[in-house]
Amino acid sequence: MEDIKQYWFVIRELTGREIKRKYARSYLGILWSVLSPLLYMLVMTLVFSTMFKRKIQNFPLYYLSGYLFYNMFCQVSQSVMTVLVDNRNLLLRVKVPKNVFVLSRCYTALVNFGFSLLAFFPLLFLSGVKPSITMLLFPIDIILCMLFGLGVGYMLSIVYVFFADVKYLYTVFLTMLMYLSAIFYPIEQVPTAMQVVIYNNPVYDFMLFARDCMVYNTFPSADIWARIIIWGIASYLLGYLIFLRRENEVMQHI
Amino acid sequence: MSEDAVIKIKDLTMEYKISTANVSGLKDYLIRKIKKEINYRDLLAIDNVSFDVHKGEVVGIIGTNGSGKSTLLKLIAGAINPTSGKIEVDRKKVQLLTLGTGFDMELTGRENVYLNGSIVGYSREFLDEHYDEIVEFAELQDFMEEKVKNYSSGMVSRLGFAIATAGDAAEILLLDEVLSVGDEFFRQKSLKRIKEMIHGGSTVLLVSHGMGTILDNCDRAVWIEKGKLRMDGDVKTVCAEYRKSGGE
Repeated sequence: MEDIKQYWFVIRELTGREIKRKYARSYLGILWSVLSPLLYMLVMTLVFSTMFKRKIQNFPLYYLSGYLFYNMFCQVSQSVMTVLVDNRNLLLRVKVPKNVFVLSRCYTALVNFGFSLLAFFPLLFLSGVKPSITMLLFPIDIILCMLFGLGVGYMLSIVYVFFADVKYLYTVFLTMLMYLSAIFYPIEQVPTAMQVVIYNNPVYDFMLFARDCMVYNTFPSADIWARIIIWGIASYLLGYLIFLRRENEVMQHI
Repeated sequence: MSEDAVIKIKDLTMEYKISTANVSGLKDYLIRKIKKEINYRDLLAIDNVSFDVHKGEVVGIIGTNGSGKSTLLKLIAGAINPTSGKIEVDRKKVQLLTLGTGFDMELTGRENVYLNGSIVGYSREFLDEHYDEIVEFAELQDFMEEKVKNYSSGMVSRLGFAIATAGDAAEILLLDEVLSVGDEFFRQKSLKRIKEMIHGGSTVLLVSHGMGTILDNCDRAVWIEKGKLRMDGDVKTVCAEYRKSGGE
């Protein structure tokens, strides 16, 4: 119990640092977590909404609900990837499990996500979406998306200790992932072969789930349920296992 | 081997795998892996070392550069796990203090006290209670809202020392070259602090290149050379032998 309280204290201190550093030289600070999704949405709406007018009813909402989850996945996996190297100096002195550092990065992403919701919810209700019971499923989606990103992050964090190049490769990969998750175009727009690829993109599943329960007020199909649960849990377990097994090797190299 | 040993080290071995080719990146690695140019060489940083440390002892660890002294402290602190052998020590009581580590340069002094304190195992209550004491000891009253990147290196190590020795938290203190920093006045002050802690029953392991520091403060010395335990005993005898060897 005492330990858990201490871990929580460390996670909060680390998260505080993370956020302070991220917005260190800006005037608006954490408000950027609200503003930047809104601005992205604005740009995308201006550029693409006329293009897909008939296929997507409410383009800003369609885009934002997708973007939030894509962004969550990016943030978690990318920040967890570099966590060991970034905290090299601290890791050697810690009394807390190394996992606390990882969890602090997740918590930071979660806090950011929370702030983005300050943009999402008003937009949702302004667009005339009625509050619905399906919205209670939203947190499940968030948690599973985080677990998925965390699992990927665990694996990458080990690789990153040995090969810093992975960071650049991964940035490119993330861009590809964005285009392959139908964030700003309807999936029917692309050839069937491409649709198969998109359907098998885990990040797309989290978006589908969110759009169903938040925007369209329908219960996600069993198929999507199964996918997000399997992707989330499997990725987490596999990542954590690899992380644990390589821990000592990493500490020697760092 | 008496009952009151607080650190028991038995047959401790730490082996590093060092790649002989220094790869610069992924591409380089793949190319060399294909060409089979990557070989590994084992480096014994710690080679079958055993000794006990008793409560209240002040032990100096000496040896030339790269002989494994810092590795030994990291092993005791639990930052890395040994390849084989055993260390028995209550990790909750151990405090490892090395130079210039663990500060976030972009944060202020105050924020670093809390961040660093939380990581080395202090609770929020403890830090609230001892905050003023830490600042006062580090003599940084006017600088706590300043970013650490604007500190001088002496100021950084003063703050680090003050955090690590705050309260009566550390029963086992591992000091890696920290008593040779800061100005003359601070050095004396930190020595005094260490002596107080020893008086209060703390056990201290001290790594230093300064023979003077070791001779003045320790009653026992452990000499490690190329990972092997060369000598263990009375500080004067060991230091004299070490000097005679001329650091080989």
